Amino acid sequence: MATKAYDKSFREEVYQNVDSGEDVKLCMQCGVCGITCPLRDEMTHGPRQLWSLIRAGKRDEVMNSPDIMLCTSCYSCKVRCPRGVKVIDVMHGLAHYALEQGIVPRKETSKFGKAFWDSIYKTGRVDETEVPMRYTMMAGPIHGIFNMLEMMDIGRALLSHKRMKFKIGPGLPPSKKIKGMKGLKKMLNKAKAMSPGKEG
Amino acid sequence: MGQSILVVGGGMSGVSAALEAAEAGYDVVLVEKNPYLGGRVAQLHQYFPKLCPPYCGLEINFKRIKSNPRIKLYTMSEVTGIEGEPGNYKVTINQLPRYVNERCTACGKCADAVEATIPSSFDYGLGQIKAAYLPHELAYPYRYVIDPSIVETEDGAKAKEACPYDAVVLDDAPKETIEEAGAIVWAAGWSPYDASKVEYYNFNSSPDIITNVQMERLAAAGGPTGGKIVKLSNGEAPKKVAFIQCAGSRDVNHLPFCSTICCLASLKQATYVREQLKDAEVTIYFIDIRAMDRNEDFYTKVKADEKISFVKSKIGLIEPGENGVLVLNGENTTTGERFKAEHDLVVLATGMQPNTDLSKIPADMVYDEYGFVQNAEGIFGAGTVRRPGEVHVSVQDGTSAALKAIQVVAGR
Repeated sequence: MATKAYDKSFREEVYQNVDSGEDVKLCMQCGVCGITCPLRDEMTHGPRQLWSLIRAGKRDEVMNSPDIMLCTSCYSCKVRCPRGVKVIDVMHGLAHYALEQGIVPRKETSKFGKAFWDSIYKTGRVDETEVPMRYTMMAGPIHGIFNMLEMMDIGRALLSHKRMKFKIGPGLPPSKKIKGMKGLKKMLNKAKAMSPGKEG
Repeated sequence: MGQSILVVGGGMSGVSAALEAAEAGYDVVLVEKNPYLGGRVAQLHQYFPKLCPPYCGLEINFKRIKSNPRIKLYTMSEVTGIEGEPGNYKVTINQLPRYVNERCTACGKCADAVEATIPSSFDYGLGQIKAAYLPHELAYPYRYVIDPSIVETEDGAKAKEACPYDAVVLDDAPKETIEEAGAIVWAAGWSPYDASKVEYYNFNSSPDIITNVQMERLAAAGGPTGGKIVKLSNGEAPKKVAFIQCAGSRDVNHLPFCSTICCLASLKQATYVREQLKDAEVTIYFIDIRAMDRNEDFYTKVKADEKISFVKSKIGLIEPGENGVLVLNGENTTTGERFKAEHDLVVLATGMQPNTDLSKIPADMVYDEYGFVQNAEGIFGAGTVRRPGEVHVSVQDGTSAALKAIQVVAGR
């Protein structure tokens, strides 16, 4: 029987560039992570299969797997992993690395992340009216309006309980900036530069 | 002959060490915590891979002990202190009262008279026994025990009154004794890992989730069901039995090591089920089946049974289903499919925790990261306090420890 050698280059790429990427080596393929995950029914692969794909050199499948952006950081898998693999760190590490490579494994998460960080970079806070507005509008204005209409009841309830400020649209009126915006930006930029794969 | 060898633990390795040293001509003090000898081996239904009863070998050993005047036996006793150095130890032994003296003939009249019951520790808590009891039907020493809970009650008085041989001693008290020894063999054995610590298996949620050691008692003729494998929830025969391997083993959150025997134990217990229940289906959920050396043949034999299937998956959750059924959630790592499988009896293959991890030797000893003990100059570990293993390894290890102990005391 003819055998085919695995492509080792991708796993090396992951070990070197992805946060806690070397933890993948620890995995013994027991399958507990995939069953522990509360989003298991939404996941295509789950962590165990992703680790297996990394070892098998399946770059495209891993980097485009929406699972790496579905992880909600509940930490159940990391707590239960019998080998102590930092599952969440690797999942987020993979997502981060994919974005750096210009791959978007899951559009919705990536857009929400952009809206979230935009708000922090602009005002120093996560504005709970602004972020969802910007997020829904990213799919285009018509889609955005339909989406917002769908959420109207929740919005009303939040307004009546003073859990949300009223806005006509994104930036109307603009959110208040925090004091020391300059210092925060400096910190964020430094953190960004220190992220794995950038240096060390 | 000069100095004695003190052996702690009357299980397979301790008994082997004691006998080998005594039969080589050395005086031996054997200290056992339980009221009987034989340890965990006495609780097994069958050995793997031969599927023969462990008691036939134990009885031969007990006969050797009985006929050897060099062995001094303490039961219901624990070593609480060790002082001195190799060649000159003073060992403190604490003995709990049995409330029954050597006049006992094991007639059982005390048990008939007593009404109170206690959980059977010999059956790992699966059944209730009378509070005046023979530890098990082939116990050595063959003598009853009265549980301290009834000593000061009416039941205690009834037991004393019922005894025709004046063997019940209600004012029996704990005794502290100091024994001198030149060398010590520590063979305190192991405990099954506490299954309730693996919280996602919900061990305490159903009587139909049991451990592998409990399964031995369920299959044993002297066990709580007379050897019938049943669901403890309703007494019915199970139809779909699951074995979950590595339940708390090879896991950094629990026992990080492989106990080496649980795979074989489950393969063996699968044969118990198939022997008794012709229609029952058995599924063994595993990470890897570790059947070493000659045991590989046993694995092959069990695999050939078409009603025993193997699924490569560590079960991640046991949840209750309808009508008391248990639903096992896992990911089949061969096919990649996530599944929910229904079973009516689940056996958790828990591993061996060394007793030296749970309670340390009262001397300056070195342990590894898991609590297994390393040999010191005059104190030698034997059996499962040194590493997990099967019975014949314990016998060999006991013999080896006896030789090391003899080397310390010889010529002194």
